[in-house]
Formats: sequence, C-alpha cells, structure tokens
Amino acid sequence: MSVSEPGQVTTLPRPTRAEHGRRPGKGSRIDDRRFALLLMIPAALFMLAFVAWPLVKLVVDSFFEISPIAGGPRTFVGLDNYVDVLGSSAFQAAAARTLGYTTLVVTFEFVLGLAAALLFNSLGNRSRILRTAFLYPLMIAPIVAGLLWRFLLIDNFGIVNELLFRLGILNDRNDIGWLSDSSIALFAVAVPDIWLTTSFMTLVLFAGLQNIPGDIIEAARIDGAGPVSTLFRIILPLLRPVIAVALVVRGVDAAKAFDIILIQTGGGPQNSTETLSLLIYQTMVRFGEPGTASAMGTLYLVAMLVVAVVAVGLIWRPGGRQA
Amino acid sequence: MSTLEVRKTPTRLLLWFLLGSMVVLYAFPFLYLLLTSFKTPLDALAVPPKVLPDEWTLANYERALSREGVLASFINSVSAATISTVLSLVLAVPAAYGVTRFRTVSGRVFVMAALVTRMIPPVAIGVPMVGMMRALGLTDTPTGVAIAHTTISLPLSIWLMSSFLESVPDELDEAARVDGAGRLAALWYIILPVVRGGVAVTAIFAFLASWNEFLFALLLTAIRAQTTPLVIANFQTQFGLEWGAMTALATVYSLPVILLTLLLQRYIVAGMTLGAVKG
Repeated sequence: MSVSEPGQVTTLPRPTRAEHGRRPGKGSRIDDRRFALLLMIPAALFMLAFVAWPLVKLVVDSFFEISPIAGGPRTFVGLDNYVDVLGSSAFQAAAARTLGYTTLVVTFEFVLGLAAALLFNSLGNRSRILRTAFLYPLMIAPIVAGLLWRFLLIDNFGIVNELLFRLGILNDRNDIGWLSDSSIALFAVAVPDIWLTTSFMTLVLFAGLQNIPGDIIEAARIDGAGPVSTLFRIILPLLRPVIAVALVVRGVDAAKAFDIILIQTGGGPQNSTETLSLLIYQTMVRFGEPGTASAMGTLYLVAMLVVAVVAVGLIWRPGGRQA
Repeated sequence: MSTLEVRKTPTRLLLWFLLGSMVVLYAFPFLYLLLTSFKTPLDALAVPPKVLPDEWTLANYERALSREGVLASFINSVSAATISTVLSLVLAVPAAYGVTRFRTVSGRVFVMAALVTRMIPPVAIGVPMVGMMRALGLTDTPTGVAIAHTTISLPLSIWLMSSFLESVPDELDEAARVDGAGRLAALWYIILPVVRGGVAVTAIFAFLASWNEFLFALLLTAIRAQTTPLVIANFQTQFGLEWGAMTALATVYSLPVILLTLLLQRYIVAGMTLGAVKG
C-alpha cells in the first residue's frame, strides 16, 4: 500500500510554531500557553492519580514489612527488604532470566522481522495480500497466544513434536518436553511472544525501507556493491533510527511479559521460566509478602526507567520528533 | 514504488516461494486452533494429532459458551474496553492538541512523561493499585478494570494523537480563528473532522489494549467483573485440561479482532508505524 495515507510515516515539512506561544488568539480571554496547559490538565491529573500515586505507594511500601491481610499491621524496616531481595538467589536468577528472555525475543524478532520486511520490499506492491496475512497475530491476546503454543508444544499430542517425529528428527513423540524440561523451557516460552510480535518488527522495518530513496541503492549497485554489502553498508545504517526505536519498544514490552509466560508454565519447571514480573506477582499473591514484592517492584522499575531514560535520550531527543 | 524491488524473474519466484512458506508457517498456529475448535472434545486430544477434524462439530462451542460466567465475562470485557477507550480519547485528544498546537515547555515535559510511563512494568503499579481500588470501592467492577487499563492506553493515545495532529497544518487552526471560531470550537469542528482517521486508529489501539489485557484484570477482579482472558486462563486450571472448549472460547474471543484487523489494516499499519519511522 502507499505510505502516504492517513498517519503517513513520512516526515512532513512542518511550519515552525515558535511565534505561536505568546500571541493571544483572536477574541480569547486567556493566553495560548495557559490554554494549552488547561487542555493537558485532565490527562495529567489522571496520570498523577493512577500512575504516579501507585508508584509512590510502591516505594513507600518497600520500606515496610506488611501483613498480607487488608488493614493488617505494618512495621517500618528501613532497607531490610532491599537487603533481603538483593541477596536472594531467586531475585538474581529472575533478573537474569528476564534479561535472557528479552534478548532472545528481541533478537529473533529482529532477524525474522527484517528478513520478512526485505522480502516484502523486494517483491513490491504485489506482496500486499501476504502482508495483511502477516499482520493478524498482533491482535491476538497474549493469553490466547500462550495457551495456543502450549497446545502446539505439548509433548504427547502436540503438533510440533508430531511433525518432528514424522520428519524423523525425533525418535519418539515424547522426546522433547518443550515446556517441562527446565533446560529449554525459557526458550520454548519465548516462542509465542516471537510469533505474536515479529509482525510489528516487519511493519516498522518495512515502512522504514520504503523511505529509503531508490537512487541511493541504485548508486550502490552501479558502484558494484552486491546485495549483502548493500544490506550491511547502506540499508542497515540508513535504517538505524527505525531499528533503534523498534528494538527499544519491543525490548521494553518483552521485559514486562507476564501473562504469556504465566499461562504456559506458571514460572516452572523448577522456576526455570520465572521472570521478574512473575516473581513479583508470586511474592505478592502467593507468598503474601507485599513489602518484599514492593522492594522487588521498585528495583525492577528503576532498572526499566534507567533503560527508558537512556533510550529516550538517545533516540527521541527531548522536544521533538523532528530529529 | 518500492526502492529495492528485484526484477529478475527466477529470483522473484524464489523470493515468492520463501515469503509464501513464511506466511503459511505464520498462519498455521491460528488455523490449527480454529480447526481444533471444530473437532470433538476427544479428537482434540488424539494421539497422533490430526490436522483436520474427522467429524465437524460445534460441541466445543456449546460447552464453552454454556459454562457459567462465560457470557457475563464477554459483557465485562466489552464494558471495560469501551469505558477505557472513551476515557483515553476524552483525556488524550485535548492533551495532544495542547501539546502539538502550542509548543510549550510543559507540553514537552508532558509528552516525555507519557513516553516514560510506557516503560513502567504493570506489575509494579498493579500491586499498589489493588489497595487503591479497594479504597475507591471499585474492586471487582468493570470501571475499576477500565481505569487500570487506561493507565496503559492513555500514554499510547497521547503519543498517537500527537503524531496525527502534527500532520495537520497550523493554517487550518488559524483560518478557523480568523473566521471567529473559539479555540475549543476550532478543535471540535475543524481539526477533529480532519484527523478522524487518527482518532479511529487511537480508539482501536485503546480498545485492543484493554481487550487483551490480563494482569490488571487478574489483580482487580474476583468473580463479578472477570474479563474473558481470565476465564480462558481458568479453563486449564479449574477443570483439568479441557483443550477443546478452550480453543472454542479462544476463537470466539480472537476472531472479531482478527476480522477487524483485516478490515482496518490500513489504519492499524499507520498506528503501528507512527512514531517509530518518524524518529
């Protein structure tokens, strides 16, 4: 499809609005700056009440030992929860798993997504129908994707092992317990996430590819560059900003993954798929330790925000999308 | 059109084949879910598994839909998603207009804050939110779930609407103002009709964010306000592994949004790629 449709991905020439801020509008009683602020206030209040305030509560709770019963006693324990959490092997292992899971998901999505985007691009507009077919998993609930893949990967009557068995790769349908073997479960739980959102990578990279001017590629070709060196020397460097945004967006989402893992393994076997989201949830709900869970949540949050601030600083740059 | 189009026929054929197999592999999982939902409950668990049902039946659908709480969960999902979508739009459209039309420092800070909010793990605010909703008397209500879901969709909506409003030339506001329209009137009568496609995209994403969400719904509901994803998840713990009925319910829940994607794919592509490619 043409990219110059609603919400086009091309950057439009934009008039400067520097002069806008101070000039009072025709017949207006308040100046523009105050009017802009008024427009933002409702959304800002909502975010303060339902995002900022819970965050404050989270941080405060992390300094207390709290009874899981509503209205139960709470005792101030200072940094004890943090000492416990940072020293606990469960937390360290979950943090490592979260990092591993995120790296795995994002790497596979990027490689597959780029391959698909390049294929779509080299086949031009006639690949449009297939592009639509490629889009559909994006709309599926992670919980459904998780269950679906659990069904496909189940040892006994799962279709994946059946296929591997028919192809002669497995001697028995029960040979691989994708989700029950703790040494491979973390890889297996990542599959539905990769399946679900590779399309996003493809879409974003495809849109980026469409914006690369044809004469640059043509010039490279005339200079005798082969397809591989064109890809690595020209296309990928030109796509760099798009790639960066796609990786950050997907990385953050993968690091937050919860339901898609919970539904497949519940964190098992032997905690081998217990990422931070799951550990915090279990600590809160199953073990009834809100204080400890809050300390974990705070650490997790700080780690994510550090990544966020670095990423935003590097990519989006304050003040604008005009970079 | 495309800048990297390959012209040689044999290469093209090979590429078509590669792409075709990729798409088939990609489509298969859901197709298999769909086919399984029409098998008899026993056939769904057959060893070795069959791709096509021996006997096409709606038994799984009858079982799934007649179970207690399933229909109510659909109503809950629709209510929560609708409330959350309306709330997101009502808050995000004026905010995005304020940010893009009047470039102020507070506007920049605001957009940055919205972006950073995306990075917050839901489990971090989910835990304290349980207590908050209890205090507000919103535990186990679709409104409570909708509010929690809006914390996810509002930053996204602000981001999307800002990008769409950026592409509307300032001259349009100015013309409206010269004609004597107030600033709010200009937004409502002149600008909104121009970006209605963008509003639609934003609404779709806000709706889907709520429709597919699990963690907040899990933490904030007990029985009355359970959304369908929770019910789907319960199929396997509470009643053993009832795969047949689960596939039927998963199909019923996913098919409407998949069809919606196909119908509105132009808009969805626009929403997905916005921002990323602009960078």
